[in-house]
Amino acid sequence: MRVSSRQSRRVFLQRTALGTAGALLSPAIVQAQPKSLTMMHESSFVPPYDAFFKNKLAAAYEKLTGIKVNYDVVSVGSLQTRVTTTAENSSGPDMTAIGFNWAFLFDDKFVDVSDIAAEIGKESGGWYESAQESVVVNGKWKAIPFGNIGQLMNWRTDWFKQAGYDKFPDTWDELLEAGIKLKKAGHPFGFELGHGFGDNHGWLYPLLWSYGGREVEADGKTIVIDSDETARAIDYCRRLYKETMLEDCLGWTDINNNKAFLSEQISCTNNAESILWSAKKDFPEMAKVIDQSENPKGPKGRFHMLNPLCHSIFTHTKDPKAAKDFLRWLMAPPQAGAWYDVAVTYYQPFLHAYDDAPMWKVEPRNLPYRDALKTAHLPGWPAPLSRAQSETIAKFIVIDMFAKACAGKSTKEVIADAQGQLKQIYKQA
Amino acid sequence: MTAVLAPAEVRRRPAFSLGRWLEREGVFSWLMVALPIAFLVLMVGYPFFYGIWLSLLDRPVAKPGVFIGLDNFINDWHNPVFRQVVLNTFVYTIAATILKMVGGLGLALVMNQDFRFKNLTRALLLLPFIVPTVLSTIAWQWILDPAFSVINWALKVADIADPGPSWLGNPHLAMFSLIMVNTWRGLPFYAITLLAGLQTISPELYEAATIDGAGRWTRFRYVTLPLLKPVIFIVTMFSVIFTFADFQLIYVLTRGGPANATHVFATYAFDIAMGAGQFGQGASIALSMVPPLALIILAMAIYLRSGKS
Repeated sequence: MRVSSRQSRRVFLQRTALGTAGALLSPAIVQAQPKSLTMMHESSFVPPYDAFFKNKLAAAYEKLTGIKVNYDVVSVGSLQTRVTTTAENSSGPDMTAIGFNWAFLFDDKFVDVSDIAAEIGKESGGWYESAQESVVVNGKWKAIPFGNIGQLMNWRTDWFKQAGYDKFPDTWDELLEAGIKLKKAGHPFGFELGHGFGDNHGWLYPLLWSYGGREVEADGKTIVIDSDETARAIDYCRRLYKETMLEDCLGWTDINNNKAFLSEQISCTNNAESILWSAKKDFPEMAKVIDQSENPKGPKGRFHMLNPLCHSIFTHTKDPKAAKDFLRWLMAPPQAGAWYDVAVTYYQPFLHAYDDAPMWKVEPRNLPYRDALKTAHLPGWPAPLSRAQSETIAKFIVIDMFAKACAGKSTKEVIADAQGQLKQIYKQA
Repeated sequence: MTAVLAPAEVRRRPAFSLGRWLEREGVFSWLMVALPIAFLVLMVGYPFFYGIWLSLLDRPVAKPGVFIGLDNFINDWHNPVFRQVVLNTFVYTIAATILKMVGGLGLALVMNQDFRFKNLTRALLLLPFIVPTVLSTIAWQWILDPAFSVINWALKVADIADPGPSWLGNPHLAMFSLIMVNTWRGLPFYAITLLAGLQTISPELYEAATIDGAGRWTRFRYVTLPLLKPVIFIVTMFSVIFTFADFQLIYVLTRGGPANATHVFATYAFDIAMGAGQFGQGASIALSMVPPLALIILAMAIYLRSGKS
């Protein structure tokens, strides 16, 4: 009893001392340890992907650090509006998923994460070069790239075989040839030429590049859209549209080609992995005769569109260090690897350590998405990210140049239209 | 001073009472409208004037703005797509409004007759207006997809065309299709409002006209139409405003494609402000809607006034 009471007095004293120290330190601790962080994400095409964050990753992090990580899902297509309002009001979630050129658009509102980007790269085999194109602004990493939602050729192996093709055509010219045969056989092509976002840019920019065309030089100033290379790409596109496609493609947005492919209206389109995913789930017989291939090459090579999903930290977050610590933890192999696995290559990692990850063996037909990362660029390439480039995309200058040609305008006219608009956008009119 | 004045005041009128002060008509009526006015100033006035301010700035998203005067409007004017947007908006608004007016009036006249299940039919008529636009537009997405379209199917079965027209792929047809969908959605609003107007017309006027030997057409022309004019004016005004600033329907169906053939003010402004992050330019495009709208409404008001006198 005595002993224990003495002991308890010692314990009491110790605790008091600790408590006093704790009380003195506590403001610092409270600041360094926010109770919760919020990550905003667009609802994923792969539902288990969102669930994995909420149920597994967030729970594991809370257990480890006591910080609760909320996962705020917004509907497809509304993420940019939400990021805009959050950035404008400087309040809302601490971190967000971003895409395309948003690191540039919201530059001032995103925390510099170059330090953890370097650590993550070192830890996981180094970053793909293309990853940097969309997140490095003025030499600073404004986001941590997570994965690319690549856009590739989706095609029906059975119909191509009937037309005499065992493999996907290697060049645009061969693709046209195949398309003519397939359309005659009642299996036209269907590539989006309307005002969607992914499936039009996914093949029209690579087509332009592979013929050597571009809007603006790497200096971000010299407008070079009016070239023989552009003209050849347009002439090719017009033929491909008229001789292989459905008329309706001109008015398509991103959902139409999935619908047309899965309802067996078309034999080939440019899309993300979503068609094969849906087919495996809903049309298993059709899934057996679907394959995916890299874009064909043109006279100047083979290109793909970069469509990255990255994570940024808003500057208004109370404790940027805590958010950085979380992203750092998230991108460490045990966490990031597991998250990639759940979506089975739907998000193609920008880190070389995953080049031969087991998930690539789950569905070998997805492998071209990995290989495409080497030749992937953002719309507007080779010019760096800029306001003018952003405006060019939002105004669909390049997409409409091709679309107008397909609808019947002359190559000269559509190039002149595009050049006139580019001059206005780049303030050279 | 106060000591001198105070008794005089007390003599002239009773002591101040809050209850009585509130009962004075001038005070009470202002009190009643104060809340709506505050609401309007906050929810309509502030955004409107903020929009005007934005349109005078070079203001990229998440960055401070620079005052540039009317440069945004001058740029718009020199932008060929903007001119196409103006044209598209007018075609869309005028065609859809005329169709809705004629169709709505016809529908209202039919609904004004006595027949079985009259109330049920009237209720069902409102459906297109009640269903959220985004949902009904998704249904139209299927109707306008040549592969699934019931229209194309009918044309195919009747051996007229195969696969039939591309409703959203052909630039002219795309505009036509959007006008049709807008008409479909806006017709019930017209019909029900005009029906309400029709029911206020006293049957005695028709009886009197009939006794004077007026036929169906004459009764419609000289009794129905003049009495319905104020209602038609109000409905048309609303309809013009809604149609002119339409966004959802077009954004879901074509997003302004193919090649800007269906871009209107609202969709174009959204793409520029949100997609490209150019708030100033976006605001200038959205604000460009105001002068033509004001002119249309003014012209309509003058036209209807002149008819009255």
